[in-house]
Amino acid sequence: MMPLFFGFMRRKKKKSAREAKERLGAMLSTRKRSVPVEEILGEKISKESVGDVEHLIKRWAVERFKVGEKNIKVEFEEHNGYVVIITNITFD
Amino acid sequence: MEKVFVITSGKGGVGKTTITANLGCTLAKMGDKVCLIDADIGLKNLDVVLGLENRIIHTVVDVTTGRVKPEEALVRHKTLKSLYLLPASQIATKEMVSPEDMKRIVHELYPNFDYIIIDSPAGIERGFRNAVAAAETAIVVSTPDLPSISDADRVIGLLEGSGFDSEQIKLIVNRIKPKMVKRGEMLTKEDIVEVLAVQLLGLIPDTDEMVIATNRGIPVSLNGNEGVARTFENIARRLKGQPVNVEEDIPAEKLGFVEAFLRLFRRTRG
Repeated sequence: MMPLFFGFMRRKKKKSAREAKERLGAMLSTRKRSVPVEEILGEKISKESVGDVEHLIKRWAVERFKVGEKNIKVEFEEHNGYVVIITNITFD
Repeated sequence: MEKVFVITSGKGGVGKTTITANLGCTLAKMGDKVCLIDADIGLKNLDVVLGLENRIIHTVVDVTTGRVKPEEALVRHKTLKSLYLLPASQIATKEMVSPEDMKRIVHELYPNFDYIIIDSPAGIERGFRNAVAAAETAIVVSTPDLPSISDADRVIGLLEGSGFDSEQIKLIVNRIKPKMVKRGEMLTKEDIVEVLAVQLLGLIPDTDEMVIATNRGIPVSLNGNEGVARTFENIARRLKGQPVNVEEDIPAEKLGFVEAFLRLFRRTRG
């Protein structure tokens, strides 16, 4: 009876490595990563219209990250004379 | 097979310089001709870890300014005659060296060495860009803690952005404490590899040996072939493409008398 009582009273502490892993997952899931545009578009970039470029990026992201197309948002911005393509991917 | 490596991390104090020195010593011990380049301009340490701080005449800045040729600035190791160091300058700044300078230096040294290992400074600015410019493979060092892993992830992203593919980025986890991992109080190698998604090159245990070796200016890999010296030998073999299991990097735990006795008792009961 006594060991059962003390076993019940002892609060189980969460291992700190598990906590660290959860925090790490949360920290790195929002990280930005630069991907060379040639990796996604290859030679096609000069020939395709903006709409097609958006489509190609979405198709690449669907395959690479296994997410639905509705989870991907592609935006084009101009920074210092360069076109910067910003792709936001929402993971479930 | 690649022969120009950069040891980098993002975060400072994770053991880049110690790993550079030990890897260089191990490869030289194996009979290879090795050149170590200290790219940490202004905060040089590699010469101190190797015990060569009193032998420096010229530095990497003397090479970039054209005062001497790269070979003329090299310092030969005291006991390992096939190990050389191109030291960094303490009074110069990182801006005095450019990525193009680094490529030129490595290009000139390339035919004369089996391996060239570049010690990168902490951070992701100019010093980092200089260090990675000429490398064929990047070895990212991380300790098993959150800030270090987070910075390693950032560095891996930058390396990928500058053209390194997944085969050219490898990971060393330094200062692993097997007992803490066992108790669930430290991230495991599997946790870290899963998050960083790069190939694991080696696991280095946290031991007193490393501190003592640095105090003496004699890298731990020169203290025989056991313990951490064996770990570096395993890493060097993997760099050469030889299959060595990562599990072999952590030396078997030495049990005290009481612990050994208790284990015997537990086994008998089980």
